[in-house]
Order: sequence, then C-alpha cells, then structure tokens
Amino acid sequence: MPHTIEKQRHIIDFTLASLLRRRGKNGALFTVYTLIVFILASVMFFTYALKEEAAQVLKGAPEIVVQRSLQGRYAPIPLEYAAKIRGIRGVMAVRPRLWGYYYDSVFLANYTIMTAESIPLPPGSIAIGHGISRMRRAYEGDTISFTGVDGKARNFTIAKILPQESQLLSADLILMNEDEYREFSGLPPGLASDLTLKVRNPKELTTIAEKIVKALPDSRPIIRNEILRTYDALFSWRGGLLIIIMSAAVLAFVIFAWDKASGLSAEEKKEIGILKAVGWETSDILFMKFWEGMTVSLTSFLAGTILAYGHIFFTSAALFAPVLKGWSVLYPVFRLTPFINPGQIATLFFLTVVPYTVTTIIPSWRAATIDPDSVLRS
Amino acid sequence: MIKVTQISKVYNAGRPNEFTAVREVSLTVNLGEVTVLKGPSGSGKTTLLGMLGCMVRPTSGRISLSHREITSLPERFLTQIRRETFGFIFQQFNLIKGLTALENVMAPAYPTGEKFATLRSRALETLALFNLAHKAAAKVEWLSGGEAQRVAIARALINNPAIIIADEPTAHLDTKLSHEFMAIIRQLKDDGKTILIASHDPIVYDSELMTSRIELRDGSVVTAGSLP
Amino acid sequence: MTTRYSTRFFTLTGALLLLATLLLIHAGRQRVTDRPLLRKSAELVRILELTDLCLFTEASYTRHLALADLRTPFQEYPLALEHFPSGSLASPPPHLTESHAPHH
Repeated sequence: MPHTIEKQRHIIDFTLASLLRRRGKNGALFTVYTLIVFILASVMFFTYALKEEAAQVLKGAPEIVVQRSLQGRYAPIPLEYAAKIRGIRGVMAVRPRLWGYYYDSVFLANYTIMTAESIPLPPGSIAIGHGISRMRRAYEGDTISFTGVDGKARNFTIAKILPQESQLLSADLILMNEDEYREFSGLPPGLASDLTLKVRNPKELTTIAEKIVKALPDSRPIIRNEILRTYDALFSWRGGLLIIIMSAAVLAFVIFAWDKASGLSAEEKKEIGILKAVGWETSDILFMKFWEGMTVSLTSFLAGTILAYGHIFFTSAALFAPVLKGWSVLYPVFRLTPFINPGQIATLFFLTVVPYTVTTIIPSWRAATIDPDSVLRS
Repeated sequence: MIKVTQISKVYNAGRPNEFTAVREVSLTVNLGEVTVLKGPSGSGKTTLLGMLGCMVRPTSGRISLSHREITSLPERFLTQIRRETFGFIFQQFNLIKGLTALENVMAPAYPTGEKFATLRSRALETLALFNLAHKAAAKVEWLSGGEAQRVAIARALINNPAIIIADEPTAHLDTKLSHEFMAIIRQLKDDGKTILIASHDPIVYDSELMTSRIELRDGSVVTAGSLP
Repeated sequence: MTTRYSTRFFTLTGALLLLATLLLIHAGRQRVTDRPLLRKSAELVRILELTDLCLFTEASYTRHLALADLRTPFQEYPLALEHFPSGSLASPPPHLTESHAPHH
C-alpha cells in the first residue's frame, strides 16, 4: 500500500512538473476556471440564501390576500366585500389593507405607503424605512414633506425609522395613520386597497379562495403558498440574466473540453511514447492524465467556491449589487444569512470537476495504448 | 540470456504498404556480452532491438528471457519486465523537454513507487557518476549534446537493469563524444551489464569492447558470431 | 532541497479544504446568530401584513412581485418596455395565469 501511494505521488510530481512547463497557458486556464466557478457559485449562494430567507420571513405573510380587478387592472376593493367574505365558512377574520405607491419626483424614487394599526403613530407622524432615511438623510424627529392627491405638500414628522436589519422587507416603506392616508392619497372611505384573511384551517385555503371567486367574480385571491412560490421562482435559471451567465459558463467549458478533446499534440504523444518505452504502463499514463485534470479542476473548484462565499456573505454580493439595483433609485442594503445547500455544491462539483477531468483523460486513451516502439521508429 | 527463435515482424500486415522488417531471425545473446547489431539503415536493426527489449511484439516466433517465454505475456507483465530488466538509450536521446535532468532520470522509476528520498539520492548518484551532479536541476534542453546523452544513459540505468539497449547511440555525436560514449560502455561492461547496441558507426562496431557481432541486411541475419 | 510538487499540491488542497470547512462553520454559526433577526423580520411581515421583499423598487410589478397582475407592465413609463435587469431576474409569479375561479 505505501508504495501505491508513493507511486501516485510520483505521478503527481511528474504531472505538475509537466504542467508548470506551460506556466502561462495553464495559469490562464486555472484563472478562467476559477472565475467560472466563482461566478456560478456566487449565483448559487446568493439565490439560495435569498430564497431561503424569503421563505423564512414570508412565512408570516397573510394567508389569503383578496384583490379586486376592474377594467383589467387592480382597483380598490369595497369594504362590503369584507362582510361577504366573512360569511364564508372557515374564514376567521378579514381585514382591509390600505397601501399604495408614492413617486418622489425630487429623488426620482418610488415608495410604498401603508397604514399600520399595530404600530401606533401620533397624529401627523410617520415611520419610514431605512432605505428612505438613508437616501433622504431624514432621521427621527425630522420633518419630511410629501405631495398629496390634491397637489398640496404635507409635512410629516418622522416618529420612527424601521429597523435596519429588516431593510430587505421595509427599505421603501412609509407607515401612516389610516385617516391621514385616506386624506393624503384620496382613497374614499368605504374602499380599501385589498383584504387579508385569516383562516381556521390552512388546508382549506384553496377551497376558500374558490368560494370567494364564486361569490365575488371580480375578486382575485392570492394564497400564501403562491406568495412563497413567487419567491421560490425568483432567479430561476431560465431567467434572462441567469441564462446568459449559465450559457457563458457552459460555453467556456465547451472551449476547455474542445481544447482537451481536440487531441494531444505530437509532442505530447511523443512524451507518452517515451514514458511507455522507459517502463510506464498504460494505467500509469491514464493516472497522469487523471491528475492533470484533477489538480487543475479541484484547486480551481475549491478556490472559486471559497471566493464566492466571501463575495456573497462577507462583501454582501458587491459584484451583483449593480445588477440588483438595476434602475431603482432606492434599494435595500442587506447582508444575507449564509444558508447553504450542500446538494448545490455537490452539483457544481460534478458539473465542473468531473467533465473536465474526463475530457482530459478520454483523448489520451488512444495515445496511452500506443506501442512504445513508436519512439524507436520516429 | 535472451534467446530468439524464428522471429519475424511484419508492419501494416494485409495492407498495400505491408513490409517485413525482420525475417525469421534466430539468435542468442548471453549475459555479460557486448553485442553489436550492424547493418545499413532499413536493415531491421531497430525493430530487432525493439523485440529483444520487449517493446515490440514479434509477428511470429518466440523470445525467451532467462528461459522464460515472454512473447505471449500480457502487456502489463511485459512492461514490468521492460522496466526491471532493460535500460534504453535512444538515438534521439528522447529526453522529456521542459523537465530537469533529475526529473528525467527519475521518471522510469516512478511506477515502482520507490520512496522519494531514496530514489532522488540514487538519481543524483547516477548523475554524479557521469559528472552531471551540477546539472541535476537544469532543464534538459539547455544541456549540450554530450550532457544530454549522459542524462539519457543515467536514465537507462536508474532501475538498475541487467541489460542495456542502445539504438544508434553515436548518430548525433561527434567523434570525440563518440569515444567518450564508448568509454562509458566500457565502464558498464566492467560493471557486468549485458549490452546490445545497434550501430553502423565503425567507432562502435569496430571497438575492441564488442564480444559478438550480428550483421543484418533486409531483415535477415547475414553473419553472426563471437568476436575474438 | 525544494519541496515536491505533490507535497505542494496536497498542502494547497488541504489548506483550501480547511478554509472551506472554516467557512462552513462560519455559515452555521452565522445562521444561529441571525435567527433572532430573521424572527424579527418574520414578525414585521406578520404585523404589517407584508407580502413581498423590497428587492426592486423601480416598478410596481417588481416591487410587489406576488401581487403583480397581467396588466401592470402597461402602467409603467411607456419607453420602459422591460426593466432590465430586474425584469430578467424576476419571472412573473407562477400563479399569475392561474385562477381560483371554478374551471369550466
């Protein structure tokens, strides 16, 4: 046994010495390989952690949201609808939600304004998300002005800044008292933005949603599971940008494979002949090629994955930030909790290290079985 | 002792470019002898040498090494015999470019799994034997012709083979280096190695070191016999 | 005497594996540390009855992905045919084309 290990170590010594002869080429190969793994692993870490976080925090989302559709778009929902829905068996509570958007023409940013009974605010006061506070440099006690539905500016005192850690949920939120919001936004009494429901038995959600549509054909119920599924479908690999990243990675791998599979150079074939002539077996040659693929791909895989972890969880995906910000003026600054899916890492390993190593070995198969006397006859 | 009986080698059998490199050759090489295979290029010297050294399988005939039939052995065993019994010195030296002299010398011993430290010191000793200790870390392409050949010889000796096989060893050497090469052969002979050299260089085949000579022409033995 | 290439390779690979293991430990500990924060966020979702993450604020259908309807894109700035890149990262919610209405 010890000599088997020593033999493999000798072969690794030889392989690395051979690889280091073309330092530039193999160094570039290693760099590109690491970069591809880095990008793929970054996407993987980021999307998984974000989806997992979404799933954990949105667990508390309303069980059913009922919207109303008028003229093919959303419209405020009459409060009588709430009374009707309350009559459906299994519905425990129905609450109207008041919320809407506000466009800040000075900062060119969109805010979401909501009412919140659960967070009591003194008259004329609002609570704002950390994103708005950061962008407008507005802090607790400051006065901030918004233009209402009548075109007149109204002043609000900032009573509270929503916690920084919840930016991923609340960066753009403005919380207001109900009567002030109706006055500000022009939403008449008797109407709400949508309704949220509490249900006795979560198994009945779909049945209840069906009953609501039957009773109120212009309503559209969205159940919690659908909200969660929306965020599970986020960053799906078919999504525009991700497919570009994936195709770039696949193409790069095809080029690698092409380079390897296009066969060995005459020089490499001659070297294999020499090694066979001096007493290397076919299996030794294949081991050499195995290590050639393995040393490059394993170290690149590890380096790329480690760098990706640092990128996503230590620098908060600094390289992805511009993409995520997109055209938003207001964006959340957040640090993701490192939820990691071992299955994904394993998949990445099998999609990078294995094919690379295999494409290194396969073309040398024929060369490894050539007669050693080719060296004599050359 | 190597004994070959009626061996032939046909290349590209059954195709229009079929040709017979070696035709029904029988001969015996005794241990401790220095044998030269003489003949013009294309006479089948290299092919015969390849078959004697277990590199090429004969198309027909039998080869036995120390009374052991080896023609029918599977490739793995043949490789093992080749590695343990024979040391090869090629016409073009066939060193692996880009690697150091030391790495080239160690390469044939890698499949044995010998401990690195012992192997390395043996390789350095072998290089020192040929006054190449100071070139151990030099890449082989930076060596002179004579140095490259001595590295090739050191490589042939690393597995301590009983038989040394050299194919046209002086073809790329000038007269002075050719004489130096023969001096090394003398040293190896004195160490008790069996030596087989294919050559059409008079410095080699007329050397007084030769104990037997086999002359080939068109793949057949013309004359064979011990030298006085 | 210079170190063997295989030794260097094993050292490098070992160091990388060690680093990866340390990062896995870091991830595990961070998850524990973040648990109260996530619980707080979940609580915020519950009391404010939130439905969405505030990832992309440039359009209503990217701000409230789960509440997007089939027509919202038309309500945006006419030249903004597609909000790239957000629009390419977020696909329409799976339930967008489904309906709870009885099937006929």
